[in-house]
Amino acid sequence: MLIRHDKARAVDEVTIVLDGVSQRVPAGLSVAAAVLMLAGPAGYRRHVAGGPRAPLCMMGVCHDCLITIDGAPNRQGCLEPVREGMTIARQGGQP
Amino acid sequence: MSEPGSVFTEVAIIGAGAAGMAAALRLVEAGIRPLVLDQAPAPGGQIYRQVATPALGGEILGPDYLAGQPLVGRFADAAEQGRIDYRARHRVWWAEADAELGGVTLGVLDGGGSSRIWQAQRLLVASGAMERGWPFPGWQLPGVMQAGAAQILLKQGALFTGSAPVLAGSGPLLYLLAWQYLRAGRAPRLILDTAAGLGLGEMLRRPRQSFRARGYLSKGLAMMVALRRAGVPVLRGLEALRAEGDERLERVAYRRGGRWESLEADWLLTHMGVVPEPQLNRGLGIEHGWSDDQQAFVARRGPRLETLPGVWLAGDAGGIGGAVNAEREGRLAALGLLEARLEGSFEAQLEGSSTPASFAAERQALERARAKDLDARRLLDALFRPPAGWLRAQSESTLVCRCESVTRGQLEQAIEQGAFGPNQLKAFTRCGMGPCQGRLCGDSVARLLAARTQAGQNADPREVRDIEPGAERMDAVGYYHIRPPLCAITLGELAAAADPGANVKTSSSPQ
Repeated sequence: MLIRHDKARAVDEVTIVLDGVSQRVPAGLSVAAAVLMLAGPAGYRRHVAGGPRAPLCMMGVCHDCLITIDGAPNRQGCLEPVREGMTIARQGGQP
Repeated sequence: MSEPGSVFTEVAIIGAGAAGMAAALRLVEAGIRPLVLDQAPAPGGQIYRQVATPALGGEILGPDYLAGQPLVGRFADAAEQGRIDYRARHRVWWAEADAELGGVTLGVLDGGGSSRIWQAQRLLVASGAMERGWPFPGWQLPGVMQAGAAQILLKQGALFTGSAPVLAGSGPLLYLLAWQYLRAGRAPRLILDTAAGLGLGEMLRRPRQSFRARGYLSKGLAMMVALRRAGVPVLRGLEALRAEGDERLERVAYRRGGRWESLEADWLLTHMGVVPEPQLNRGLGIEHGWSDDQQAFVARRGPRLETLPGVWLAGDAGGIGGAVNAEREGRLAALGLLEARLEGSFEAQLEGSSTPASFAAERQALERARAKDLDARRLLDALFRPPAGWLRAQSESTLVCRCESVTRGQLEQAIEQGAFGPNQLKAFTRCGMGPCQGRLCGDSVARLLAARTQAGQNADPREVRDIEPGAERMDAVGYYHIRPPLCAITLGELAAAADPGANVKTSSSPQ
């Protein structure tokens, strides 16, 4: 999990639905940042070869942040800002 | 050249980081309204990300970050006033330069998923840098992130790792991140540095560069002193690294002086310097050469930062120089573009005049400052050089290509079987064929190939271990062929782009 610093600038929050659970997160985060904050890196994504993966670069390079957003699979979570009402599903699969 | 349904612009700039913003503002001064395409939701690039509304104060993020506020402010104002056609969340997935006529065709995908073709008479590329892919066993485990990613989390939302992280690698960014964590009251657990010492010998050997780099060096020293005072352990001479765990990182193992040690950790943040973002430069067909100093492939640029006809390249995308240098290069490339525009104009041809004297003075001042700064940068390159033979010191099972899960052992086997170039190796093993399009493995693959060929086919593989291939060898090996799409794009988005009727949205588009 990630921790938001207590001196962080106050910002609006948006409600997202992560794996079926409604959660509030600060506006301005990317989807990948929001997921890491709420759920940590474990369970973020499963590689086709079977291993677990999570974002490495957070800037559009590595593609290990791929995630389902509003029903569309394999979106780059680090490039997509969270929006009010957004539905996010991790592609964690079975180990 | 002319695609039906495309939109025309005189000048397109790709990237709204330090270089792209500075270039745009200089063009605005000359009365041009550039199109600026950027993938982020706000201007600033990676270095000045969200600096207009910083998530934390300068006491934690540092003064160099907040120093970007005036530039971002001026850019945002000009965009607001309509003097810059700024398009946030736009990604270039296709870029083709017309070698004969000049001009560039760009396939651009917006944040809403629609694609459009732009035609630009002139293009200024300022697509920045990315972190160097730095393979070690387990770097694909959740809980391992690049230092740049951790910085993005700080800037985006004041987010820190839940428990104290282990930092590993080398380079200024590693210590900046450690210092930022410390200032936030979340000191890192341990710093593992591949450099054996502080590099004092290197500094003494390069007195002029050391003097010119004194600003960088004193900042770095202040950070190291702060970390030492706070009791953050810094272990130097890191030889090998292993991230261990089942579903996520549980333990970091490291080797120094031939001895392995390990500790439990949830987060490992790594850094081995930054390199130019290759996709756009390569996709356009700009020629590259290996830089021994930067240990990276760097685009070849002329004295005015020009590359192909009608294409300029500024900032870290053209070679790592840092944010201040990127701003300078943005202006320089804009000047080059303005000069070319004047030289090509009807009036200039009539009068036989070339460029106004004011350009010359402005150019000279910028060039002088740039030369000094880049000279200082050579010392930083030497101090934070990636260790020769790093990859070969890691276990054979190390993933080099993360996307296709190709190990060093598999790559070496394919090389032994006669794969002589990166593209052949791709066909043998699928390395570089995944969604990152080779950005994290391309240099490693070239190094493995170059070291093998430098040693000679009959050499004992163990002798190849410490070879650091020179520029000649690296250039001979080369890099993957980069073809469009230059970024991930769905078939639906691609289909929409191929249909002229589907991508024309504004009245300004010629029908």
